[in-house]
Amino acid sequence: MSGVLALFAKDLRLLVRAPLMLAVLVGYPLLVALLVAAALQGEDRRPVVALVSLDTPGRTVQVGDRRLSVDDYVDRLREEVDVERLPAGRARQELDAGRVAAVLTIPEGFIADLQSGVRQPTLELVTSRRSPIEGEAIQRRLESAVYRFNQGLAQGYVKQVLQLVDFIVNGGSIAVLGRQGDVVGLVRGRQLILDAQAQLRRQGDARLALRLEPLVTFIDETQNNLDLARPAATAISSPIRLTTREGARGREPLSAFGMAGALLVSLALAGVLLAAAGIASEREENTLVRLRRGLVPLPLVVLEKVLFSALACLVVGMVLLGAVAGLTDLAVGRWAAWPGVLLLAGAAFGAFGALVGSAARETRTALLAALMLSLPLVFVGLIPGDRIGVVADVVPFGPAFDVFRALLADPTLGSVRGPLVLLGVLAAALTALAAVVLRRRATA
Amino acid sequence: MDARPLMEARALVRRYRRFVALDGVDMRLSPGESVALLGPNGAGKTTLLELLAGVARPSEGTVTWNGDGAVRVGWVPQRPAVYQRLTARENLRLFAGLEGAEDPAAEAARLLERADLEAVAGRPAGSLSTGTLQRLNLAVALAGRPAALLLDEPTATLSPDQRLRLWEWLGDLRAADELALVFSTQSVQEAARHGDRMVVIARGRCAFAGGMPELMDRWGSRQDGADADERAFLRLVEGTPA
Repeated sequence: MSGVLALFAKDLRLLVRAPLMLAVLVGYPLLVALLVAAALQGEDRRPVVALVSLDTPGRTVQVGDRRLSVDDYVDRLREEVDVERLPAGRARQELDAGRVAAVLTIPEGFIADLQSGVRQPTLELVTSRRSPIEGEAIQRRLESAVYRFNQGLAQGYVKQVLQLVDFIVNGGSIAVLGRQGDVVGLVRGRQLILDAQAQLRRQGDARLALRLEPLVTFIDETQNNLDLARPAATAISSPIRLTTREGARGREPLSAFGMAGALLVSLALAGVLLAAAGIASEREENTLVRLRRGLVPLPLVVLEKVLFSALACLVVGMVLLGAVAGLTDLAVGRWAAWPGVLLLAGAAFGAFGALVGSAARETRTALLAALMLSLPLVFVGLIPGDRIGVVADVVPFGPAFDVFRALLADPTLGSVRGPLVLLGVLAAALTALAAVVLRRRATA
Repeated sequence: MDARPLMEARALVRRYRRFVALDGVDMRLSPGESVALLGPNGAGKTTLLELLAGVARPSEGTVTWNGDGAVRVGWVPQRPAVYQRLTARENLRLFAGLEGAEDPAAEAARLLERADLEAVAGRPAGSLSTGTLQRLNLAVALAGRPAALLLDEPTATLSPDQRLRLWEWLGDLRAADELALVFSTQSVQEAARHGDRMVVIARGRCAFAGGMPELMDRWGSRQDGADADERAFLRLVEGTPA
């Protein structure tokens, strides 16, 4: 393995000495990242959420000293997302077409439930199944908005409840949830009963006065319980609940698809061309005749080129992802998973390039052949469809694209296992095939 | 001849699909001996050297170095086998490391001095003149401190003065390290001058093995004049059955 390391260090030194090559290798993915960033910096920066309000327009609810309507709630949502009011059917169409990221439905009776103070009003958020990461982001934003709205409502409710408790204890005129009332109050009520008992005893009806005694006991216990109700009232926190479910499959929004495509094109070209040029230049410089004499066996020479491409793809990929994460709102997520995936994809791309480079006699021929072969195959990998997908799956580009997309868009990662295994198999098979071809060509 | 040869090749055959490049060649090499492989283009000289160097495997037959004991062999292909964008020093350090040198940098310095390459040590190999590049090519082959050097037409692309200097240097190496040489050439004079023995390869077979006097005795003619050795060689080659 020391021979592989020595060749690796040599290739790294040669790469650093080729500033144009290095600039293309690092600059191209950065350019792609900037283009993606520019595309995402426009109107799509804030997700658009369709709002379907099924509640009666104009209804309001008095909470504390504030009168609230659905519009107040919508205004709060606008701080987090772009809200577009739509009828229910149209909102569903827009979600399916990928023009809105989610549909938020305010159900019929929302304000009435809120006003009741008993029934918990529920909002419904439907996110796109094909863009779960964006859906998750919207859900977090709406939860944040609901939480802040809840806090405001809770403070109003608690204030109301404490006022109510105060009036029950001390009595007076009160308006609760839109109703006017005159409350005697426990303190005054107790005093009234005590006065009545005293008068009855003075009139010689001690028996009747005694029958009023349970009322005094009830008032005392109620007062004690209301003292306990004060801290309980302050614990009220969530008058509104948000439920979320995934909608039907629709078109995938550009962000995850575009990002996965940008990764595939830049890494595939970098990995394939590096390995193809590396192998072919060993032949062109005639150094294989020295290496194969037991210094570094040909399969290890191929392996070294594959590893070199894999590490180059890792560096380029992480730079690209870092640039996208730093410059855009797109969530690239799962930083721990990316290095392994980039290494595996880079190894598969490198093995494909090594196969092309092994078959070519000259570096220029290898580069041209690698470019001409990989470009159409990369774009075939981007096209959905079973028939073309078969072609894309026998080269590493299709599975790599599936893995990139899954990492960007599938929160469960359930769809990543198959393409990852296929990538590993292809990397091993292409590396072995490249070693066989190189041996045959080198001895021909 | 030494009783125990440094190298012994027996019945070597090398086929490329249906084409037989080498057909049953035997050869021996003694320690410190210089053997010239002589033959026309396509005769099988390079193929024989590649089999001796271990670059290729024989289809049939065996090559045994030092009775299968450990011995290092330096390989000097006709086209320089060095990294063009690495400097002379970096090439030597890399190959010394691959050959297992304990201190590749020190070994590279030793080889630079030995090959008189110190003045161009920091220059990329691709920028060196043909003669200097061939010296580097040869110095790389010495990185493993070999007991024998196998050289494929080492002077084919060199000018007369470069050729002269290279042979002087190879002579010094032989004298200092008792280095055995096997070199291929198309020049009868070069083979006669620098080889202790000649092995003539024609049409993939060993047509002759011995010294110049024996060759002249069998194929020379008194009417040949100044180029008698060349004419004797041509008669030998043309008389070899296909």
